[in-house]
Amino acid sequence: MSLIAWIELIASGLITGGIYALVALGLNLQYGLMRILNIAHGEFLMVGAFITWMVQTQFGFSPLLMLPLSFFLLLALGIAVHWLCFRRLTSTSPNLDIFEARGLMVAFGLMFLVQNFVSYVWGGDLRGYDYLSEPVRFGEIQFAGNKLLVFGLSLLFSIVLIVLLRMTLLGKGVRALMQSPVGAQLVGIDTQRLHPLMFGIGLGLSGIAGCLLSMAYTISPSMGEPYTVTALIVITLGGFGSMGGALAGGLLLGVIEAVGMHFTNPSLKALLSYVVFISVLLLRPEGLFARKKRKA
Amino acid sequence: MSKVNRRAVIKSAVALGAVAMLPRAKAQSGPVRVGYSMSRTGPWTGGAQTSQEPNYLMWAEQQNALGGLSVKGVRRPIELISFDDRSDIETVIRTYEKLMGSDKVDLVLPPWGSGANFAVAPLANRYGYPFLAPTALSSRLVELKLPYFFLLLQQPAPMVTAMIEMFKANGVKTIACIYVDDLFGLENFSALRAALQGSGITMIEDKSYPGGVKDLSPVLRSIKDKNPDAFVGFTYPPDTILASRQSKEIGFNPKFFYASVGTAFPLYKNVMTPAGAEGVMGMGSWNSKTSAGAKAYFDAHVASQKKEPDRWASGAAWAGLEIITAAVAKEGLDRKLIRDYVAGNTHKTILGDIRFNGSENVGTPGTVGQWQNGEFEVVWPQRLATAKLNPSKPAW
Repeated sequence: MSLIAWIELIASGLITGGIYALVALGLNLQYGLMRILNIAHGEFLMVGAFITWMVQTQFGFSPLLMLPLSFFLLLALGIAVHWLCFRRLTSTSPNLDIFEARGLMVAFGLMFLVQNFVSYVWGGDLRGYDYLSEPVRFGEIQFAGNKLLVFGLSLLFSIVLIVLLRMTLLGKGVRALMQSPVGAQLVGIDTQRLHPLMFGIGLGLSGIAGCLLSMAYTISPSMGEPYTVTALIVITLGGFGSMGGALAGGLLLGVIEAVGMHFTNPSLKALLSYVVFISVLLLRPEGLFARKKRKA
Repeated sequence: MSKVNRRAVIKSAVALGAVAMLPRAKAQSGPVRVGYSMSRTGPWTGGAQTSQEPNYLMWAEQQNALGGLSVKGVRRPIELISFDDRSDIETVIRTYEKLMGSDKVDLVLPPWGSGANFAVAPLANRYGYPFLAPTALSSRLVELKLPYFFLLLQQPAPMVTAMIEMFKANGVKTIACIYVDDLFGLENFSALRAALQGSGITMIEDKSYPGGVKDLSPVLRSIKDKNPDAFVGFTYPPDTILASRQSKEIGFNPKFFYASVGTAFPLYKNVMTPAGAEGVMGMGSWNSKTSAGAKAYFDAHVASQKKEPDRWASGAAWAGLEIITAAVAKEGLDRKLIRDYVAGNTHKTILGDIRFNGSENVGTPGTVGQWQNGEFEVVWPQRLATAKLNPSKPAW
């Protein structure tokens, strides 16, 4: 295999990996921070994709304009969902493990609810539109413009989130909450406000991911579930709660899948992903990129 | 409390008996109950809601507008009894068991897809319900020799043979193939290998992929490096679009680009744009130029369902309903007689004359379609062509 072919292969893996990372970020925020294993994450991503598709095809707006709109719509929806479901669960669950189990059940319910709501509103048809699909050349290598845009923005949002968490006071509060929820409350961090906000931001990120994905892929009400599964693999790879880990994990999974598919068969893709997933769970359960073992 | 006397009891019993007799009396003039399960949620929805259910709804609407379905000359309204199967085979089976076993509907219409039809066909046969499947492609279904089961689509062997004949006639020497690793993909791939024998065409690459795949570019890049004359994909709608988009992305421009389910969907033209779709080939067997009936059907579909039918299985779905309508008009609702009518006659449909050898439609031959100027044209075989073949696809 020539050098160019290798570069193409790795780059296409990185592009797919960037998308995986973006999808995983929101879930990581919710699970890493609040132990809400939001199985409906992919469904909210699908809502973002459908809103973008609808506005693009009905009004001809650029999908890029829909990025902030998707984010804030899903943010508001996230805060509402938290207020309706998880706030009550937090106050009635005797401990974090029971909260996690109950949260998982609620998220399953949300998954069916959102999926059926979208089917009801927009129907079950496969949808899509053409946006920046012209290839962009770099010497002998070329990639679709929309994929490069999705990859660039995925990296941008991941880095912005990492910087926000590292550099700002809000980020410090969030990280404190990740390390020790009780300790954070003791030093005066307002968890009553931070939790819904972070859950909302997690959903907002899924809205952004959906918006970006709709530029490059066809969408349907059933598109969400595979993304949730991928996001779970990615955050396990990267370490729960670690945003840098999610980014690195996503990119790594993308490259492993691309190389694996090239040398074996795309039918073995799921096998490759799960071998990586199970190996990490067995050998390094705290994640490949987490420094310390996370305490429950 | 008033005293209950014998006369009152007898009167009540007679009244009850009369009420009990009512459904039977009503069944002779009441609605024709037609049951089916259909994917309205889950991964099959795209195909089901493009090629199949819109036709069922339109059929009931059209017949009811005429006063109902003609049952040996008596018009009776159609009552559709349908359930969402959530793209789940178990649910499909349970639904048809309920429809045929306990609800005892008058007729059933098939679900979407080869896998679901494969699961339900033996059941329908056991209950003695004629089953005219418009979206099943499997020679194994033919081999089961189920007397009540009929396949409307041209099966893998004729479809693939038509494609290979077209390739041969246009000087193709090498092909590369990807196929989805389920019944549909595997059967078509086997048919392709059989059709290639002695054809002088070599398969230089073949790879399977799982349904719901998100990235085919590693495979397409390795195919591009081998530079085949033709690319063949036995693909489902999302993968058909993914393979097309990613071929455009990497600049893979074979002379012939053939993909399967979804190529004939209006969605393909919308997503790829008419210029992007130009020259792309796929499984398609009709368009509004095929016959006057096809034109009338196309226009009625757009008016009633507010969307275009696809140029492959939608036509077969409507042809199946045309056959059922004629069968019921002639034989009534006796399912054995309907089955014999379907099996023993040549049927005039929008796709042309359909007749069955066992379960297989042997009336309409295998065909190849191609996008030309925003329309999916039938280009092979030449006697059924609605437009001349463009033997060199323009670059994406």
